[in-house]
Amino acid sequence: MTGLRFIAALTVLLAARAACAAETAQEIVAKADEIRNPGKPFKSTTVLTEYRSGQPSDRNVLVVYSKIDPATRQFRNLARYIDPPRDAGKMVLLGAVLWFYDPATKDSVRISPQQRLTGQAAIGDVLTANLAVDYTATLMGEETIEDAARQQKKCWHLDMKAASETATYNHIEYWVEEGTHDPVKAKFYADSGRLLKILYYRNFLERLDGLRPTQAVIIDAVDSSLVTVVDFSDSKFTDIPDTWFQRDYLPHLNAQ
Amino acid sequence: MIARLAVALLCAGTALGAGAAQADDDELDRIPAPTASQQANTSNADEVFFLQNDVIGTARRSDLPVAFPPPFPARWEERLFADARINWQLSDDVSLYYSGRLNLRAEDGLDVPSHENIRHDFREGYLAWKAGGATFLDIGRINLKSGVALGFNPTDFFKTRAVVEPLSADPSVLREDRLGTLMVFGQHLWENASLSVAFAPKVTNPSPIYRNDNLPSFNPMLDRTNAETRFLAKGSARLFDDFAPELVLFSNDGHWSYGTNITHGIGQKIVAYAEWAGGNGLDLADEALQFGKDTGTIPPAASSPLPSSTTRRFESNASVGFSYTTESKITFNLEYHYHQAGFSDADWTRWFGAGALGNPALDAELWYIRGYAADQGVPTARQEAFLRADWVDAFVEDLEITAFINADLRDASSFSQVTADYYLSREWTIGGLAAASFGGKRTDYGSLPSAGTFLVRVSRYF
Repeated sequence: MTGLRFIAALTVLLAARAACAAETAQEIVAKADEIRNPGKPFKSTTVLTEYRSGQPSDRNVLVVYSKIDPATRQFRNLARYIDPPRDAGKMVLLGAVLWFYDPATKDSVRISPQQRLTGQAAIGDVLTANLAVDYTATLMGEETIEDAARQQKKCWHLDMKAASETATYNHIEYWVEEGTHDPVKAKFYADSGRLLKILYYRNFLERLDGLRPTQAVIIDAVDSSLVTVVDFSDSKFTDIPDTWFQRDYLPHLNAQ
Repeated sequence: MIARLAVALLCAGTALGAGAAQADDDELDRIPAPTASQQANTSNADEVFFLQNDVIGTARRSDLPVAFPPPFPARWEERLFADARINWQLSDDVSLYYSGRLNLRAEDGLDVPSHENIRHDFREGYLAWKAGGATFLDIGRINLKSGVALGFNPTDFFKTRAVVEPLSADPSVLREDRLGTLMVFGQHLWENASLSVAFAPKVTNPSPIYRNDNLPSFNPMLDRTNAETRFLAKGSARLFDDFAPELVLFSNDGHWSYGTNITHGIGQKIVAYAEWAGGNGLDLADEALQFGKDTGTIPPAASSPLPSSTTRRFESNASVGFSYTTESKITFNLEYHYHQAGFSDADWTRWFGAGALGNPALDAELWYIRGYAADQGVPTARQEAFLRADWVDAFVEDLEITAFINADLRDASSFSQVTADYYLSREWTIGGLAAASFGGKRTDYGSLPSAGTFLVRVSRYF
């Protein structure tokens, strides 16, 4: 009897190893990236709702134009603030070089990656990032975790280290559902190792020719009262010329 | 043995799993209940309206080393204005843009009622045509801004005389109520390059420098922006990585200037930048007095209180600095400003020396030079240091604090300002500002007639 159990356990182990050999951690992350965002240029309305102690406290609306840079395989984003009205029309170009444009002053200012994080547009930028490009992933194992709706999900647990200068975070823990490759949960860490944010994807609906998450819940691990819910709506594929991703284009982007 | 090890591992795994489950429960408890997907707000970023009321108080400096000619800075001001920026999309490729501000104003020294109580600033009004995806042609009154620095922009050639009644000395706010120039503007973009050309015709003669008590009510004031024929061409190209220098060529009634803008990112937190412009010109005092004579403010036969020359020489202006952003959302900008036409050490000595003579006509000329520098958007001093800090979510969420200091490197005198804005709600913002000039009596900023200013404001966005 003991021998049979041992053989069964050995079989499971060998099967797991075979599965890992068939699909590397990096491939898992890349497939989850494809679920999160398509490879073609698209436009999406992003609504960020902040909750303080469970109550809605602030809201920002942006229209984001996203397109992959063939040179870096990373998304470039052009975000235009729609709401609140005091920020309406302001723009952030998030590409190889970052620019902030204010229509009130007709002035564009180059910003650093760190300065990008002071604005809400950075959240959308992180959500469109191709993680497989910026991070090196290692498969830690398999886990069954609860998703945002408290449903049990059997996931690959991945550990990801920043592999490029454009990576926003030093280290990410990532859970991807086995089989579907749906992203379920991520934990983002600072250089110091401090946990900064916990992210859950939810509301998987048909969007941009695929079943994709239409909502992300970002739990702030530093400010325990803060949660940000990010909704993606009005998504559609659109032609985005490469000429848009430079400082001099910003004054020309209006209601498209 | 194997069975014991398996049990031990199972127990350890269960214990770890229980801890993780507890942590997950805490996280999941914080997640708001699912709602229907949030729809975009009905706000239209192509139509921005706001009302703002400002109350301003100013403390005058007494015992000035050079007597200030009237009118003196107002002790109090009340400003209520409606500000609008509207973009009408006439077709897929053509749009009409308007930007302006309607002011109701009162201050000590202004008669009420008078035409000075109501004013309209027609900042911009132009037709924009997208000729294909990468070529743009705009015609009308356009606010064309150039430069990468924050405190002083030598390549921002259309800044001269354009700022009307500023409510803040912060350079980034000054540009919010700046008049555009009547021009034709064309631009073509390539994937990693751009070329822009602007032609602004002379449509009227230059006017004297405006004071607070003689601003026109509904005049577009083209005399401030189109009193010379001006031409600008600028182009940039990405040469490698993030290095995309911009070259600028500018002509003002046939006097040519050249400039360049460069930025470079250093790591995650720093952006370094440099801006330079040069061309043949007169020193500040000579240029100011010539302008004063041309516009009838200064008698043609008046002699210069400072050594003068009518010979133009090549002069440089530069702004070099960097921004640094901390993890606590504070962005610092530190810059060095060089204005070669500005006052040298000897010029300051002569300026204060001439002022000590107690000749009112001479005093008016001396202050005219400094007023001219402010009107042109250039420092009086030759070398300055500029430090600005902008703190988002300072102390509490939705509070933004901005502070800057502009210091004359010759005499260490300075002008400082602190602004705080609290975003009460989506529509309402309240704010305050305090500014003061520091320095000895015979210094750049210590000799100004205004010692300090405070302002409180409330804004309502629609």
